[in-house]
Amino acid sequence: MQATEHHLQRNVSQETIDRYGRINGDNDIIHYDQDYALKRGFRGTLAHGLMVMGYACELAAQAHGERWFRGGSIHVKWVDPVCPGDVVAVDLDGEGNVRAAVGEELVLVGTARGRA
Amino acid sequence: MTRPSDVKPREGEQPGTPSSAIDAGSLLPEMRFTISPEIVEEYLASIDADRSLYSLDGRAIAPPNVLFVYQLAVLYRKYPPIQGIILTEQTWDFHAPIWADETTEIVADGKIVERFEKRGKQFMRWSADFRSSNGTKLATSTNTMYLPE
Repeated sequence: MQATEHHLQRNVSQETIDRYGRINGDNDIIHYDQDYALKRGFRGTLAHGLMVMGYACELAAQAHGERWFRGGSIHVKWVDPVCPGDVVAVDLDGEGNVRAAVGEELVLVGTARGRA
Repeated sequence: MTRPSDVKPREGEQPGTPSSAIDAGSLLPEMRFTISPEIVEEYLASIDADRSLYSLDGRAIAPPNVLFVYQLAVLYRKYPPIQGIILTEQTWDFHAPIWADETTEIVADGKIVERFEKRGKQFMRWSADFRSSNGTKLATSTNTMYLPE
């Protein structure tokens, strides 16, 4: 990956997840029920994948401006969950590679590019 | 103004759809909703967005990703969700801005692309298209998700 050109960091808490859940309008207990999430084998409740993808979109808006709003494209894979207490660092490089990590662990990889 | 919860069946409120009942090739019917300045503001707050990024031609615009919170409604209105669905991969293409200083009526529909098994787990891939009610193409998405048994 080339040197990072755009970077942001977000602290994720259960309140963060609940706030996203209110606008998202879901009731998937994987996001809200700690016991259920632990039984499923996760570290805790899961942040919505599309919330984390939204952070990547924010970087794309920073990087590309109008070329993002008119012709932007993003592709991501979620490779590990984000849980309450995590600090998510999101980077977008000059070639359009986007990645999000919690500490050393990747949680999201992909590309985000403006209109060519 | 349409809140996503107004159009999206919620997990646990009705029997969920087992993966075996989802047919590749089936169409996801048209859904209409409106995005208002209030929805845009709430979405911006939900991702701690920098509002200064979202203007174009002197007008406020929505983050195109505001559509994220409506996307699953396109699927769930036909196939109500079971608990524990996990998204694994998505692609979005954004074609035109959604203005944030007015209310926009949006029409969405979709299609089940495929259902497949990987390492003994059930997955599905489906697509959704979003356009304004005047016909302007706004966004397209493809979504892969894991369906728990």
